[in-house]
Amino acid sequence: MNLYSYILRRLLYVIPVLLGVCFLIFIIFNVVAPDPAYLLLGRHATIEQIATLHRELGIDRPFWEQYLAVVKTAFTFDFGYSWSSKQQIWEMIKAGAGPSLSITVPLFVITNTIAISIALLVSFYRGKFIDKAVLLISIAMMSISSLAYILFGQYFFAYKLGLFEISGYEPGFPHFIPYVILPIILYVAISWGPDTRFYRSVILDEVYQDYVRTARAKGVGELSIMFKHVLKNAMIPILTYVIIQIPFLILGLLLAEAFFSIPGLGGITIKAINTSDFPVIKAMTILSAVGFIIFGVITDVLYTVVDPRMRLK
Amino acid sequence: MKMRNILLVMTMVITTLLTGCAKKQDASERVLNIVSPAEIKGFDPIMADDLYSGREIGKIYEGLLAYHWLKVPYELVPNLAEAMPEVSKDGITYTFKLRKGVVFQDDAAFPNGKGREVEASDFVYSIKRLADSKSQANGWWILDGKLKGLNEWREKNEKLPVTNYAEEVEGLRAVDKYTLEFKLAKPFPQFLYALAMGFTSVVSKEVVEKYGKEFINHPVGTGPYILPKFDQGKRITYTKNPTFREKFYPSDASPELQGLLGDAGKRLPLVDKIVVHVMVESQPAWLKFNKGEIDYYSIPKDNFASAIKNNTLAPDLSAKGINLIIAPQLDLTYTGFNFDNKLFHNVKLRRAMALAFDEVKSNELFYNNTSFSAQGPVPPGIAGNIKDYKNPYKGPNLEAAKKMLAEAGYPDGKGLPEILYDIPDSTTSRQSGEFFQKQMEQIGIKIKISASPWPEFQAKLKKRGGQMFGLAWGADYPDAENFLQLFYGPNSSPGSNSTNYNNPEFNKQFEAAVMMQDSPARTAAYEKLNKFLAEEVVVIFNMHRQAYTLQQGWLKNYHNSDLSHDSYQYLDLDTAKKEEMLKKF
Repeated sequence: MNLYSYILRRLLYVIPVLLGVCFLIFIIFNVVAPDPAYLLLGRHATIEQIATLHRELGIDRPFWEQYLAVVKTAFTFDFGYSWSSKQQIWEMIKAGAGPSLSITVPLFVITNTIAISIALLVSFYRGKFIDKAVLLISIAMMSISSLAYILFGQYFFAYKLGLFEISGYEPGFPHFIPYVILPIILYVAISWGPDTRFYRSVILDEVYQDYVRTARAKGVGELSIMFKHVLKNAMIPILTYVIIQIPFLILGLLLAEAFFSIPGLGGITIKAINTSDFPVIKAMTILSAVGFIIFGVITDVLYTVVDPRMRLK
Repeated sequence: MKMRNILLVMTMVITTLLTGCAKKQDASERVLNIVSPAEIKGFDPIMADDLYSGREIGKIYEGLLAYHWLKVPYELVPNLAEAMPEVSKDGITYTFKLRKGVVFQDDAAFPNGKGREVEASDFVYSIKRLADSKSQANGWWILDGKLKGLNEWREKNEKLPVTNYAEEVEGLRAVDKYTLEFKLAKPFPQFLYALAMGFTSVVSKEVVEKYGKEFINHPVGTGPYILPKFDQGKRITYTKNPTFREKFYPSDASPELQGLLGDAGKRLPLVDKIVVHVMVESQPAWLKFNKGEIDYYSIPKDNFASAIKNNTLAPDLSAKGINLIIAPQLDLTYTGFNFDNKLFHNVKLRRAMALAFDEVKSNELFYNNTSFSAQGPVPPGIAGNIKDYKNPYKGPNLEAAKKMLAEAGYPDGKGLPEILYDIPDSTTSRQSGEFFQKQMEQIGIKIKISASPWPEFQAKLKKRGGQMFGLAWGADYPDAENFLQLFYGPNSSPGSNSTNYNNPEFNKQFEAAVMMQDSPARTAAYEKLNKFLAEEVVVIFNMHRQAYTLQQGWLKNYHNSDLSHDSYQYLDLDTAKKEEMLKKF
């Protein structure tokens, strides 16, 4: 199939997926989420004020009308205003994306580089001491909760040793750098373990393939086997794993943003959930779904680049 | 080069790089660094109904009255008003003369970006905006039913597509450019407190109309500090308002605050800049305070044991020059009964439950032993609280509780159905709910806990659902009326009386008391009502809490004053002392 028609067809899948996402968030908001009017109007709210606010927010309208409004939002990307902060949601996303990405992008690059490198190394020395040691350390580090890393990191590295800022954020390059280093280091420590284990198992699957044995028989060097053959053949699961992380980068890190006072999208999402700010929840969910689909298509296309035997259907 | 040497060089390089990651504090700057432990809702005065948003509003906006910074108990003083109002003999008409020459902060909404002078009509507009149902103001309750014709104006305009602000309201009139007149529907001396609250701050029509919905993020007031735009971020930086009027630090103080007169007569505000760090997690805020990056902070629950030993400050904190300030809060925590449920009309049952409750243990478990036992609804520090009064129905007294329960008709709890206890869904509320459950179990009362998210919990109370609930009330203003009204029948749910207690005799006496001007007779009336409610056990009175705040040695003029949301203009820093003291951090 032609690449463009494949991409077009896959992008058309967005329609049913978005309809499903709209349905889910609509149900969750109407069934599970608390009534936003009580949060927005405060402790002295009267029944009359609550009814007026319901009318203004449109949550007193018939369910089908409300659902259609959600669907319209999803296809026009006109997210409107936040119910609680009264800001335009696109403005909020623009303001929050920078701080979130200033942590998640370096974290994504560093973690994946480290994890793939270590995975290659331990696959090379599979079964030896270094392989077992890395496995043990990664499991031990995975077993500690991320909150413990944050609390320890803030106390020891930032407060006791004074190496980093305890918390805070200044927008703009390079002002943000002092504030993001500690969360990045801590999250690399949190994430390298599971990532390394995944990449190791993917690479080990390849290491025992016949073509590796053939290459070795032909006298190809071990390093060359690992980088030129094994890594290349392991690229499909690696690509899937790596690319699918990208749409989530923009959502930020919920816990890190709260503890490091970083004004990112993670914090905006949490605040929206806590205040039943439906337009913001809706916007973040729809954007994630669309991002997920788009990057899914990119992954598929990249498969054909990495492995010419792959065909788009 | 050997491996060891390579590692050594790498370590040195990394250490050097990392050392540059932490910024050094510039102690010579007069910048006040404070923490807001909650997100800020925004900068529309009519919406700021929580303590933290109110504090931010107070840096930018001002109202007619304010609380004297150095008077205990709270005392109202003129702010944008030139003097305290002239009050008619019947207590109905309040006439204010405005301070001349007060200007709004510069903003693009004004011609040439220059803020114009505040006039009486601005107050009329601001208060109508508070009343306008289209504004959905959180603060409408303070004027609901208070001013002649204002409720009628609200109802009439609710039906119109556009609110008619030009329509006159009898109880709210700009007599001339600098004279403002209020006419009350009936005497209500507490009305003056409403004029010291953020809700009634003056806003400019031009600014409201220019920014529309986003006015909440474009604060333009008359106050000591400016904030060009609020971006809902985690750091709010205010700078001095260059057009702020001449206002000076007070020269008189109550005896207990005489020590804060060092800056008497100085022009306000005192610090050049205020940085508010929005930090919802207490651990990083606590570390920042301990590093000298925050100027004062309330001790977090989890750090209390390490910071306070035997009710005094831990030696390591004292060594840094940090001071401890303990201040009673005007609040009440209580366990409520829903009087819609006939079960609770039995006063002996209520008394038995109150007697069974171990408040000493509760204070120890949930308040680090820092709170006062609440004998009745009115907290210490305001007229109506009875000094040394002991409520005879306070626990723990299991024997008396069991006896009372038997007299109530439920010996050992027999015949008493399981009681539903509603709480907001939080760890502390759950723990205190379980504690209450165990306390009641001791006399044979079965309690079933139902935890719901805060809005649902609130909705249950508004809809008069449930049987019992745990709640707290913080004063809106320093008057016993604000606590006694919690049990006034006409305020029943969805009003602030969540217990739905409705006793005609209490209602009558309450109505008479709240119309009285501040006087010994009114205090006596408040005390009588306070004692009546205490012995009626309308709720199980738990605690009046205290704030434990730590302040850096270099911070000047600070004292705990929850109701003064304009306090920041009085605070100052001794920069030389800060530079010196920071060496110990």
